[in-house]
Amino acid sequence: MRDWISRSLPFPHVVMTPARLCVLLALACLALSGYSLATQLPAAQWAQALFVPDERNIDQVLTHYSWLPRWTISLLAGGALGIAGVLMQQVLRNPLAAPTTLGVATGAQLALLLATLFAPGLLVLGREWVAVAGGGLAMGLVFALAWRRGLAPMVVVLAGLVVNLYLGAVSTTLILFHQEELRGLMVWGAGSLSQNSWDGVLYLLPRLLIALALAALMLRPLAILELDDVNARSLGVSLRHLRLLSLGLAVFITACVVSVVGIIGFIGLAAPAIVRLLGARTLPQRLLWAPLLGALLLTTTDQLLQHVSGALPTMIPTGATTAALGAPLLLWLIPRLKLGGDRPQTAPMLAAPRRRHPMRLQLALGLALLVALAASLLLGQDGQGWALPSWSVWQATHEWRLPRTLAAAGAGTLLALAGTLIQRVTGNPMASPEVVGISGGTAIGLIGVVMFVPDVGLPMLLIAGTLSALATLGVLLLINRRSGFQPERVLLTGIAITALFDPLRSIVLANGDPRTQQLLAWMSGSTYYVDTVLAVAVAASAVILTLAMQSLSRWLDLLPMGNSSARALGVNVDRARLVLLGVVALLTAAATLVVGPLSFVGLLAPHMARLLGAARARAHLLAAALLGALLMVLADWLGRQWLFPQEIPAGLMSSLLGGAYFMWTLRRL
Amino acid sequence: MRPFCNREGLRRSRLMTLLTLVLLVWSHVANAETPRIATVDWTIAETLLALGVTPVGVAQTDAYREWVGAPTLPAEVADIGLRAQPNRELLAQLSPDRILISPMFSTLKPSLERIAPTSTVALYTPGSDLWTRLEKATREIAAFVNREERADTLLASLEAHLAELRDGLSDAAKARPLLVVQFMDARHVRVFGDHSLYNAVMQRLGLENAWQRETNYWGFSMVGLEALAGLDDARLVVVDPMPVGVEERLETSALWQHLPSVRRDDVLTLPPVWSFGGAPSARRFADNLTQALHEAPRTAAHREAPDA
Repeated sequence: MRDWISRSLPFPHVVMTPARLCVLLALACLALSGYSLATQLPAAQWAQALFVPDERNIDQVLTHYSWLPRWTISLLAGGALGIAGVLMQQVLRNPLAAPTTLGVATGAQLALLLATLFAPGLLVLGREWVAVAGGGLAMGLVFALAWRRGLAPMVVVLAGLVVNLYLGAVSTTLILFHQEELRGLMVWGAGSLSQNSWDGVLYLLPRLLIALALAALMLRPLAILELDDVNARSLGVSLRHLRLLSLGLAVFITACVVSVVGIIGFIGLAAPAIVRLLGARTLPQRLLWAPLLGALLLTTTDQLLQHVSGALPTMIPTGATTAALGAPLLLWLIPRLKLGGDRPQTAPMLAAPRRRHPMRLQLALGLALLVALAASLLLGQDGQGWALPSWSVWQATHEWRLPRTLAAAGAGTLLALAGTLIQRVTGNPMASPEVVGISGGTAIGLIGVVMFVPDVGLPMLLIAGTLSALATLGVLLLINRRSGFQPERVLLTGIAITALFDPLRSIVLANGDPRTQQLLAWMSGSTYYVDTVLAVAVAASAVILTLAMQSLSRWLDLLPMGNSSARALGVNVDRARLVLLGVVALLTAAATLVVGPLSFVGLLAPHMARLLGAARARAHLLAAALLGALLMVLADWLGRQWLFPQEIPAGLMSSLLGGAYFMWTLRRL
Repeated sequence: MRPFCNREGLRRSRLMTLLTLVLLVWSHVANAETPRIATVDWTIAETLLALGVTPVGVAQTDAYREWVGAPTLPAEVADIGLRAQPNRELLAQLSPDRILISPMFSTLKPSLERIAPTSTVALYTPGSDLWTRLEKATREIAAFVNREERADTLLASLEAHLAELRDGLSDAAKARPLLVVQFMDARHVRVFGDHSLYNAVMQRLGLENAWQRETNYWGFSMVGLEALAGLDDARLVVVDPMPVGVEERLETSALWQHLPSVRRDDVLTLPPVWSFGGAPSARRFADNLTQALHEAPRTAAHREAPDA
């Protein structure tokens, strides 16, 4: 790996080490910073500006109170995130664990949103404390969900991702209904390093020093975590407490950074990962080099951005930019990381009862779906309150409710089918089409169109969405071809693509463009824009695909048994995976165009179907499809009625309901 | 005495009946002339109100009252839901004669067309003079509700009012270029420049805008506080509302305290005005700004006196 990187550099005989990379970056950073400082202030005044600025000279004031604190805080924040990343990756034994993937950042953001709306007095007491409390609570939720499994690494990461998605959905709902009040928080959420006094630095520095001292004290016990659970336990280490303590420390560091400069993506993930790739194998080495690299990466990016964005009317927040730059790097890293892909699955399939007569389950589900459809079509409110069926209601039913109900049912089915496929292919009950990244990829394309094409209409949106879904699929296939479509790698690629979508959204939101309303509405998964033709098409393809999917059931029954067993039974494993992934991508793209990138249905429906006892692939597919339709129809209907006349998009509604249920089941896993 | 009184009462009640009838007929005629309008856009809503037309439905009425405020939205106006996703079942039930949208909601047009004829009124169009657009948009809206003359009076009186305000401004008030900002949080502001409503009003008032850098589609730049530091001459104009806690944080923000305008203590604070508004918002902003400018020199001079 190390050689590979070295060979791709201009001097193939020089082996790249963490130290060399840091020196290179430091030189680049110093050059950039020196240049930027020189354009601002004559070099003769630098010393004066640093220590005792002439209060009458605005250039010196700017340097002293804005440029220098910003430069210092970018170093501090980058370093802090590097430490947090090392700790998390060490504890979770997962090279892709990071502060932002464990719900801390979203928890902090949600807490600030809630405080702004409902308890503004708290903000006067201190924004950082609100953020720390929110981040801590979110992490606590993740811990609570993973507690029963002794905070096993895989479960913690999954719980973190789910909590992230869920809190993100709650935040999106709040932003949708209170866009004007929350516009300031959008800037913070995108991670701006801009400073106007030394307060931020003085807040962060002592906390970091304490955290660093604690981390140093924990070096020896932490190194034991590199062993597996059984070995570590035999050495007499209380794994649970050790993990709790070190994760808690990492959360504290992250929350401090988040509260001062907002959400800075990617640094906490990339710095430790790169350092490890370059040969820093032991924990002390990584704890030394990762913060250095993190600090240099963030500062260099910020210096570059200050050059670029000075002339633009839009603000490009540094935090979102590092995240956007990080995603491609992550995609590049994934095929090169040792992830232990051949290890047996650590997350077991759910031990669920198996029904003798799956037909009865299907019938009951079908009946429930019919009831939900009838309610969604006939029951609703108008200006005067709840309205009984009458002529005007019939008209509303035909005109407005039918397309939305059909589309919801269709999209729910498609997502459920996609979810069933991916859960069976990866043998992981926590996988879902959202995680494969097609939803995120489609969303990126649509954001681009809405932002750069004026007066965009629905047909254009549909075309753009389809094209970007296909492009995402291409990226997925390209990156995973070399690894033979190993399940974990496919999921990781998906997460990376989704990670690219988030910063784009943040940048758009941070600039407070009033067009974001429309974007937000679509991103939160609404059936609003569906017309009858599209609705019928989606519903019909859902029915046809549910039936067609039955022909894949042999693969789906055999693949979860493991590669060798499946191969022995005559399945061409690689080809089967490729075909199934293609089907998943298409199903997800179609559903995303209708209900947006956000929904838990693809995760939830197959999971519930399994809990209800549909074990064989054929029964599993059918039950999941019915459940998916049922959930989405209910979500759509509830979303339309709850806050009438304002509508909560179906995707958000299903995330809110489904996410809660999902966390509950995760807790009992 | 009583019969007398009664007769008079009778006559009076007859008169009342006649008057009511006339009023009824008149209002009926007026109603026939004024189509019932629903709109998702707050700027269109405020313009309609200024033209004396009450829309039947407006999106997010509560938020309108909070962020646009004046002209006051009467209580009988129906809330038709989110601006980006108005509730179509409710709209269909209101059965307006016409629905007005802005280009930013153009995706809604095909489906709203099925409820009522839907027209787009564009105020913010890249590459055109905002004031010209504002006048044109006001006339377009007026044409939909048969209030062309009212629009002419509205615009003429606005023009005259602005001219009057401009002439009333002292040279001292015009001396410094202005920097109109709205706080996002304690570190970031929107600065309004070319192509913003505030800028258009300032031009009409003969006031110079200190922010000459490029702005976005909506006429503002989103910047950190440090971007304001280079403009030594500029006097800061802060448009409320301030986000919670920002004022306290500015007290301890060294950079803010060192901005030339803050050091000179000539920062103006204006009550909230919808920053993407139309003619009514323009008038209110002009009033607020000139009033603040009239009051400011006295206080500034008063505070500078001990220094000198």
